[in-house]
Amino acid sequence: MFGRIENEDSIDTKVGFSPGSLFSSFTSQDREAKLTFTFIPHQILLNKDHEFFEDGDIHRHLYLQNLSTCPVYDSPTARQCEFRCHISGCSQVFSTVEEYEHHYNTLHRHMCSSCQRSLPSARLLDIHIQEWHDSLFSILAERQDMYQCLVEGCSLKFRTREQRKDHMIKIHQYPSDFMFDKAKRIKKINIANKNRQQKGTSMEVSMSGSEPEDVCQVLSDQPEEEEYMELNHSLEPAHHKPTETTAQQRETLLQVSIYFKSQMAHYFLHGAPHDSNVFPLDLQSMCNDPECIH
Amino acid sequence: MWRLNAVRHKAGRQGSDLEEFKFKRRAHEKELRRARKDSKLVSKILLLNDDENEEDGTMDTLASDQVLELFKMVCQGRDLVKKEADLRALRKALRSPSAHLVLIRQQSSIAILVTNLRGPSPQCRLEAVRCLHELSQSPHSEVDSWRLRQATPYLITFISGQSPKFTELCLYTLGNMCPDSENVRNILLAQGIIPALNSCIQIHRTNLAVVEAVGFTLSQLISANYVTGRIIPAVLASGLIPHLLSVLTPVLTPDSQFGLGPVIECAWCLHYLACSNVDNGALVAQGTLLRCTSLLVTLGGAVAKGSIEEGMELLIWPLLRCVGNLLLSGPLGALQPQLNDSRLLAALCAFPQAFLQTHPALARESVWVLNNLTSAAAADSSVFCSALFYLNLVPVLIQLLPFSHGINIMVLRVLGNIAHQGREYCLHLAQAGLLPALCATLKMADPEVVTFSLEVLGQLVASDPQLAEEFVRQSGLPVLEAIQYSNQETIRLRAKHLLEHHLPPHCTVDTSASP
Repeated sequence: MFGRIENEDSIDTKVGFSPGSLFSSFTSQDREAKLTFTFIPHQILLNKDHEFFEDGDIHRHLYLQNLSTCPVYDSPTARQCEFRCHISGCSQVFSTVEEYEHHYNTLHRHMCSSCQRSLPSARLLDIHIQEWHDSLFSILAERQDMYQCLVEGCSLKFRTREQRKDHMIKIHQYPSDFMFDKAKRIKKINIANKNRQQKGTSMEVSMSGSEPEDVCQVLSDQPEEEEYMELNHSLEPAHHKPTETTAQQRETLLQVSIYFKSQMAHYFLHGAPHDSNVFPLDLQSMCNDPECIH
Repeated sequence: MWRLNAVRHKAGRQGSDLEEFKFKRRAHEKELRRARKDSKLVSKILLLNDDENEEDGTMDTLASDQVLELFKMVCQGRDLVKKEADLRALRKALRSPSAHLVLIRQQSSIAILVTNLRGPSPQCRLEAVRCLHELSQSPHSEVDSWRLRQATPYLITFISGQSPKFTELCLYTLGNMCPDSENVRNILLAQGIIPALNSCIQIHRTNLAVVEAVGFTLSQLISANYVTGRIIPAVLASGLIPHLLSVLTPVLTPDSQFGLGPVIECAWCLHYLACSNVDNGALVAQGTLLRCTSLLVTLGGAVAKGSIEEGMELLIWPLLRCVGNLLLSGPLGALQPQLNDSRLLAALCAFPQAFLQTHPALARESVWVLNNLTSAAAADSSVFCSALFYLNLVPVLIQLLPFSHGINIMVLRVLGNIAHQGREYCLHLAQAGLLPALCATLKMADPEVVTFSLEVLGQLVASDPQLAEEFVRQSGLPVLEAIQYSNQETIRLRAKHLLEHHLPPHCTVDTSASP
């Protein structure tokens, strides 16, 4: 399977890889590997006009034309490769590995796959997913303490974000302007919207004044970034619903779902009541959510 | 040797002259690159004459009527001594390019020069050929070699003659005429330039200046664009090859006057012959591969010791290319007898180390030759792959991975070739420190580098679970996870495959969400 490819005019990367020597059987994994990995060792023949030979030819002709040597050499020197962030849409380039890794760890590590936000640690990512993308969370949070303290090792939980924040300020001595669970945005446009949405629920309003500064800090990669729980480098995430509902509405919904479940259970077990109008009407009167479809 | 000597004069420039020189050189280089892209890269040589070395500064450019006056005197003169003086004056006038146009437009000017070229007086012949030589390298397109074709049968005849200086001038004149036109080359071929070159190199084999001139002329003949199918087979059949090879002696104490000039020219001829791929089997059969590799070994030894001569890269370059292409002339196993000096591998690794900063393209071509050695049929290449480990050369290759200009890609090919040999080779590669190096190359900006890195990595981790674990220990998993967000699908697929099938723990991200 090793090729001798003659008269190849270009050094393209599209050459084949045959893992046949490594895999003893033809599993579907092997077949997949054969399609994915394509490198085959092969010799390369180059004709005299190939661009691979350009620099050498130029050097020869400079010599023939009496211009080759110069005390201080002036021709292209080997460059160290640059490093590029692979995250689609980011594409920033760095000259050292360290710079790249710092960038990646700051902006792309522990990324939430639902909303593309990057969190500083795996634990905070878990908390984020739970608090923002778990649809049952807000419902359960009404009945029990769900908001965990963000400090590693502290196992306390709280009923509201506010309470958690108070705890972290009082007990763990966090500064009051610490960005607890507010999303930072790279694009300034969304700041105003976010403020409006968050108004009812948090005390982050007081921090809105410092927002532009925070955005600038995010953009310029200052160490202060480390304080932020979330960094958002995309637009309003698709899956994240703003928490518009009040506490009372949430209570209603909870009751509705419990009720609905028991009604359905009843239906299945005993059949529908003859007066089926009772069912929808009950729900409609109970539900205050303007978006309720019933 | 006229060239390196002349260059040494230039090396003495100082101060603002140097800056100007560098500026001119950079501009000139740009022109050459453009010319190469247009397939018009051509160079012509102008020999300096002894009496000009003595004179200082530039000649006064003569007015056209003065040039014509000189020419008239040449036409009319009967006294040979006087004619010689007139020809000399004309020749000096021709040092200024504007005089070329004057002369070429004069009716029968070339015929008159040719008459003197074949005339009875040796001194007149010498001056006449010098005049033709000036014209042969004229910057004016009007003064092309077709206009000078009347001279060629005589020039060709004379190169089989005995006088070295005269022969040298004839050779360089012919060499300057070769690249201009297909028609001229056909005429030269028909008039027997190749057998003439063959006898010339034998007659003058001890005269390095003439040997260099033969090499130059031959290289011009065979490297010209649109080379007809007839030239190279004629050269191969002519018996020139053994003589070219005899010039490539691995003697590295070059004649102080001539330097590496003759060897350089012959090496470039061999490169042009090999890359044309007309009959590389014949080249190999006549010992080309053996001779080129021996010389590379000698040069590699010198380079490794740190004694890099001025102009050495001009010799290394064509040798590398010749060897690189000749490796495809037949199954590698059949070429084994010519390749049994393992120091060749050491030389091929010494060149990149030495020339990385000054000539990165040479480093890249050196690794290309390694690719051709390690990528033939598995049984044939395994000896070279093993030798790379035995000579502890793999770490040297790994050290080249940070460098662009195509160097790291070629190195990754070689490492991929070695990994392909099997599990034992993969283990050795890992021992040499390849896995942490791959962690770095996977982060590079060039997607080709990343793709090749994934290929090599794939080979390694698939060959032995130990290597997969080692990769994870080297913190390789986060790198692959990051790669899954790449905007190149081919890269994402490879990374995903590795994460799913070969690396613990299995951490895949749903890439269908990626844009």
